[in-house]
Amino acid sequence: MKFVGIVGTNATQSTNRQLLQYMQRHFEQQATIEICEIKDLPAFNEPDDRAAPSTVQQLSDKINVADGVIFATPEYDHSIPAVLKSAIEWLSYTTRPLINKPVMIVGASNGSLGTSRAQAHLRQILEAPELKALVMPNVEYLLGRSLQAFDDQGNLTYPDKVQELDNAFDEFVDFVDLTTKIMPSSQFFEKSKQFSWKQVTGEE
Amino acid sequence: MKFVGIVGTNARHSYNRMLLEFMQRHFADQAEIEILELTDVPMFDESNDQTDSDVIQQFATKIEAADGVIIASPEHNHSIPSALKSIIEWLSFKIHPFDGQAVMIVGASYSVQGSSRAQLHLRQVLDAPGVNASVMPGSEFLLGRAQTAFDDQGNLKVQGTIDFLDSCFAKFQKFAEIVAEMNAPEALSFNPGTYEVTATGHNGELPMRVTLSADRIEDIEIDTSSETKGIADVAFERIPKEIIDGQTLAVDAISGASITSHGVIDGVARAVKEAGANPDELKKRRATKAVAKPKVTEVTTDVVVVGAGGAGLTAAAKVLQAGHQALVLEKFPAVGGNTVRAGGPMNAADPDWQRQFAALPGEKRSLQELTELDEAQIAPEYRADFRTLKQQIKTYLADNADQTGTLFDSTLLHRIQTYLGGKRTDLNGQQIYGQYDLVKELTDNALDSVKWLKSIGVKFDETQVTMPVGAIWRRGHKPMGDLGFAYIQTLKDFVEKQGGTIMTETPVQKLLVTDGQVRGVVATNADHEQVIVHADAVILASGGFAANTKMLQKYNTYWTAIDDDVKTTNSPAMTGDGIRLGTSVGADLVGMGFSQMMPVSDPNTGELFTGLQVPPANFVMVNQQGKRFVNEYGSRDELTQAAIDNGSLFYLIADEAIKKTAYNTSQAKIDQQVADGTLFRANTLAELAEQIKVDPDVLTKTISDYNHYVDAGSDPEFHKTAFDLKVEVAPFYATPRKPATHHTMGGLKIDTGAHVLDHQGQPIDGLYAAGEVAGGIHAGNRLGGNSLSDIFTFGRIAAANALADHETAVTE
Repeated sequence: MKFVGIVGTNATQSTNRQLLQYMQRHFEQQATIEICEIKDLPAFNEPDDRAAPSTVQQLSDKINVADGVIFATPEYDHSIPAVLKSAIEWLSYTTRPLINKPVMIVGASNGSLGTSRAQAHLRQILEAPELKALVMPNVEYLLGRSLQAFDDQGNLTYPDKVQELDNAFDEFVDFVDLTTKIMPSSQFFEKSKQFSWKQVTGEE
Repeated sequence: MKFVGIVGTNARHSYNRMLLEFMQRHFADQAEIEILELTDVPMFDESNDQTDSDVIQQFATKIEAADGVIIASPEHNHSIPSALKSIIEWLSFKIHPFDGQAVMIVGASYSVQGSSRAQLHLRQVLDAPGVNASVMPGSEFLLGRAQTAFDDQGNLKVQGTIDFLDSCFAKFQKFAEIVAEMNAPEALSFNPGTYEVTATGHNGELPMRVTLSADRIEDIEIDTSSETKGIADVAFERIPKEIIDGQTLAVDAISGASITSHGVIDGVARAVKEAGANPDELKKRRATKAVAKPKVTEVTTDVVVVGAGGAGLTAAAKVLQAGHQALVLEKFPAVGGNTVRAGGPMNAADPDWQRQFAALPGEKRSLQELTELDEAQIAPEYRADFRTLKQQIKTYLADNADQTGTLFDSTLLHRIQTYLGGKRTDLNGQQIYGQYDLVKELTDNALDSVKWLKSIGVKFDETQVTMPVGAIWRRGHKPMGDLGFAYIQTLKDFVEKQGGTIMTETPVQKLLVTDGQVRGVVATNADHEQVIVHADAVILASGGFAANTKMLQKYNTYWTAIDDDVKTTNSPAMTGDGIRLGTSVGADLVGMGFSQMMPVSDPNTGELFTGLQVPPANFVMVNQQGKRFVNEYGSRDELTQAAIDNGSLFYLIADEAIKKTAYNTSQAKIDQQVADGTLFRANTLAELAEQIKVDPDVLTKTISDYNHYVDAGSDPEFHKTAFDLKVEVAPFYATPRKPATHHTMGGLKIDTGAHVLDHQGQPIDGLYAAGEVAGGIHAGNRLGGNSLSDIFTFGRIAAANALADHETAVTE
């Protein structure tokens, strides 16, 4: 299987990036995870022509061909970082590659809560009609105390958290299998691959 | 009233903007609403702090000055727009203008939802601790189908909607008043008097007297006699001053002395409580700091020194003595670096002085053994010195054959001992020993360093010659007064008296390089202003990296493991800053894999003198299974490695008799630590075992075996080489211990002139290094007492060359 892993921050030092890098190596037998950065995307600003800037288009193309997407998000002020929200706004407003795309959410934070509130927000955001992602239910992977969680080789050092991640990832692989069975592509039709908030009202 | 309205989107067309503009006009007779736009706000990025930018400062200043904030948010993807999230992130990162500010949320959207879900997210975001706004509950104003809601003049069309907005706004004005009242400092009244409380210091509880009048904190007196001088002095001076000046408890802790800072604040809070007032009110009284625009200060001097520890102050003093200007930059609020934590005595062979003291039993034996050492074991460059030393020793032994004799020493003995002491092999089989030319420079000049220190006012206790821990030989010159602080106090006074400048809280960010020559530094001062220093030379004297665990782990080749939570005996300032600065301009490094650990340190703080710290002959060390695991009389390295092999944490077992041999403690401190759970005490060994979670039978057997070995005078298990007391008199004690990082031997590669060398071995023009920041001298292990010889010697050398090189350059 082929997944895209999105680093949900523009910070130079990020344990969410470390977590994705660890998953990339740790699960290499089960899946290819391509890690994508959002730090170089422009800040979202409704473009008149609805065209995606090239960096957004590249990210979107990768998501399009992937079997699923893994979001690794920090928590800023009880929610996801603005920069991740901005990336999602671009995708929702221009190319909409997340429609029916299986999504797994993970998150790492230095506190003990492990981004629980940001993940709840992210789930609600991805389920918005402009995005229509298929976020894996039931599974929540929260990595608290993340500054101490990785050794020099970038390996996760909490054995219970490794086990939990293994289980979560197995479930995600099953979830991806399952969704392809219940979601024949012909069954679902979006009016437009391009979205605007005006569209919701049927104005256009 | 005066409100700020934030348009929650950067879109050119926005019904939320229209809504705010309508409110601005509609409520003009009740309140002034200033509308702020997000258009120019950069995307939040913690790695690129733009808090000081005009746009963010403008938001902060206006929000702080307002009576309340109205946020009008659209809903994008069931949440708030990224542009709005971004400004909130900026305003909760380094500054917190929303803290305690009244906020009203409104929102407009195309759909009937009217931003309902975005508003819920926004509420949660504004509740986050970094934001800490007071969001008005209830009265949700959701404007659905906004595209049909306004007429051509931008006014709301439906009277019912306007009526509801009126009621929400009326409620918000009242809410803003209540919030302001809630946050306003209450008039406090104290029962006047002097309250005796305690402050938690670095070494335990400190008695404190707080004098309160009816409405003011008048005086704070702290008895610091039991504290280590130099470490937290700045907290004892500054925190009480800030509390009294601002009549507030909302003062910032001082970096490097945060325990003490909080200890003092909490102590005053208890006094306030005892005087019948609510200390939380005093914590709310923020000393309002105006957000200053970043300023740039440019300074020109002859030599700039990075780090105000022993090496840095010595270098500055030498520069000043030669009639030149010196500027010392220190990142911490207090001067002294690690030197104030030093045990005190410095090594220097001074045979004329040492000869006044009688030799001790065993010293002749050690010298004899040295002469019997196989020459093949001595590195070729040290052999000539080794042969001469053997001759010196043979002459001394022959002269003193029939008497106790006097204490022998020579520069060569100091040199060979430094060399032998530093010889180590790491885990990769790489052998290391001190670089001959540097060790020679150190040992040849150590006595001159003592003399120079005397000349500037350091007083030494010449009535005794001491051997610092791990020093091998008695050649320690002990200053009068408070150990390491004695040097720093004298040096600091000297530097200031000679017209030198010491800037504290001014960390150096980078070196200024012009045409490959280091010509100054860029630093930031306590007010976040940039300080650019132009100088002919830069001396790095910023210490090692024992407080930087990641860096230790990265370079370590000596210990089998360094725990992530390893503590340090060092100042927290020791994070390898100078090494980073040096390598940024191409400096070479040497011996980085070797570090020293103190095996018997407090597992929580790295402190040495907590619990029952007794002479090694009385050490009984048990691991987390309750078993002994090492010869407790072994070297520091042996104890450390054995501890690491046993999971780092271990216990020193003691009884009532051993307790009496403990250093730097008192019954009060012991009782306090037992109460805090940092020291264990029980009437039987079995109970003690339960407290430290080991099998009672195992611990009882371990101790009974140990007592037998003491009686027999030999330890067949671990071959402990010196015994004193048995463990037999209740109550029994267990002191938890763990190895803590103590000294980093590796660092910038230098030559004998303290020039920092590049990878080709060429000096980097204008850059010098002295003290723990430099490597190559102590190699695998530093003798106790040699670090002080090093800093004072190479500090002087660095200064002399920084001046001499520049003068040559001018003449040329």
